[in-house]
Amino acid sequence: MVTSFLHRATGMGLYAGTVLLALWFVAAAYGDGPLGVVHWIFASWIGQLVLFLLTWSLFHHLLGGFRHFLWDTGRGFSREARFGLARANLVGGLLLTLIAWAAFVWF
Amino acid sequence: MAIPEKTIANPTTRYGAARSSSWRFIVQRATGALNVAFTVFLIWLVVRLASADAISMGDLLANPIVAMVTGLMIISTAIHMQIGMREVIEDYVHDDKLNRLCLLLNTLVAAVIALATLAALAKLVFWG
Repeated sequence: MVTSFLHRATGMGLYAGTVLLALWFVAAAYGDGPLGVVHWIFASWIGQLVLFLLTWSLFHHLLGGFRHFLWDTGRGFSREARFGLARANLVGGLLLTLIAWAAFVWF
Repeated sequence: MAIPEKTIANPTTRYGAARSSSWRFIVQRATGALNVAFTVFLIWLVVRLASADAISMGDLLANPIVAMVTGLMIISTAIHMQIGMREVIEDYVHDDKLNRLCLLLNTLVAAVIALATLAALAKLVFWG
């Protein structure tokens, strides 16, 4: 239930998130002036928070997609399997997000 | 036209467009699988270009492989998000007129975002 809702919620978050990629590329196309404004927004605490949540949405939605691929083969529908998958989805999404941000901050 | 609840609850009845619904089912999975690879690429691209100036962005994106993968990523993502949001609208917006309006707006928004990003990419690739 919760993970199904989260799959949709993160999907819609990513839908909105594509605007940020568009904003970044369009600003760069216009030059360093507009790009500087975008950098300032992305580097602000609220920008970083939004980007962090988007990273999580991306990984959570990605792993949720694998769950759907498994279900498409007709497997993984038992009660234990569904709960196990939901837990793996939640933990995996958070873990990948932290790894990506750790790599981003340290390297 | 509203679909009566009896029809929806019965899996043997047919309603909606079987052909285009099956097509969307397949495309959503195909673009989803592609997007797994594009996610790895996107993480690399963002880490590589974070706080880079316009010249360095143009330099990296002008690489033919990077340019092509970025372009395909934008298209695949736009299609995937259009179908995904369409499903949500189909599930929650029941008023017929509003439903049509939402579906139309969804397609327009996905197209505008994709075209704007592609145009900016083309500018960076061909004119630096």
